[in-house]
Amino acid sequence: MNKILLLTLILIAQISYAEQNHDMPESNHDISKDKKTDESKYKLNTKRYEEFIKDISNVQIAIVDVNGMVCDFCARGIEKTFYKDLDVIKVDVDLGKGKVFIAYSKSVKIDFEDIKNKITKNGQTAISMQIEKL
Amino acid sequence: MLYILSTSVNARPISWPGGNTYMYKSDATKTSKNYHYSPSYKYSIGVEFINDKYFKEEYMNFRGTYLLDRRNTKKSQRNFYITGALSGKSSDNFFYGVHGDWETRRYFTSVSYINKYTKQKNYIEKEFQVGVAPYIGEYGDIHTWLMIKAKRNTINDNWETYPFIKLFTGDYMVEIGNKNSHWDLHLMARF
Repeated sequence: MNKILLLTLILIAQISYAEQNHDMPESNHDISKDKKTDESKYKLNTKRYEEFIKDISNVQIAIVDVNGMVCDFCARGIEKTFYKDLDVIKVDVDLGKGKVFIAYSKSVKIDFEDIKNKITKNGQTAISMQIEKL
Repeated sequence: MLYILSTSVNARPISWPGGNTYMYKSDATKTSKNYHYSPSYKYSIGVEFINDKYFKEEYMNFRGTYLLDRRNTKKSQRNFYITGALSGKSSDNFFYGVHGDWETRRYFTSVSYINKYTKQKNYIEKEFQVGVAPYIGEYGDIHTWLMIKAKRNTINDNWETYPFIKLFTGDYMVEIGNKNSHWDLHLMARF
């Protein structure tokens, strides 16, 4: 059993290391270049996104690509964090695609650095963002 | 002697920043009620009230957990924590240890290694868990995990391995397991 315990620990470290290296190009990517949307880069879960926008209009939506969202607890933390922001109209999380949808009124200037900081303080990592206007 | 046997580390011992967590655990040896507060995603502090069924006594632990390292990827999260507690009943009773976990939306695994000190005996407790989600739910759905836990301490020197099921959605989680004909129950709420 001691060996199994040790092997489990090694497995966690190895998988984590492999994924870290696998993600390296993405992590080192110049985020500012991703701020303007290339729609082909973002394959949204249409059903979730359509559900999100169905009862809102005249808004702009930040669609944020986030690493480390693996469960509802992560999503709840992000949702609670952004609902504290009075400029935010609506928030949702697409765990399957690793995306956070944040709806703002059109008068607000969306700041990716601010969003990134909020997500970092919640324990996840924001990678890039696109903005959709409705 | 079994004083702080009831200190197993949870898969997610820290909540979101400003988050509060209540836990209730019951098994053949004890029931415990645990509250902790997370000022940031890096650490949590809290108290645990324990009713020891074996020695028929009640006591309280002051607990803390610190996130040493986290690695986020698109599909996974890996964490290493250090954790510890002091008993409110005696300064001779305390524990400290490390805990690691790695999780995707499909698979979960964790290990922990805890050193425990009591007036009567010092010992080590090791534990690991593996689990698989039979289906992948979306945020807000009821998520199900089929888990196996193996644990051993240096007092009885035997590995105990048993299955349990974990269900959670939103702010709530329930774990139910069966070990040697005894039911284990673990409830958790976050807000």
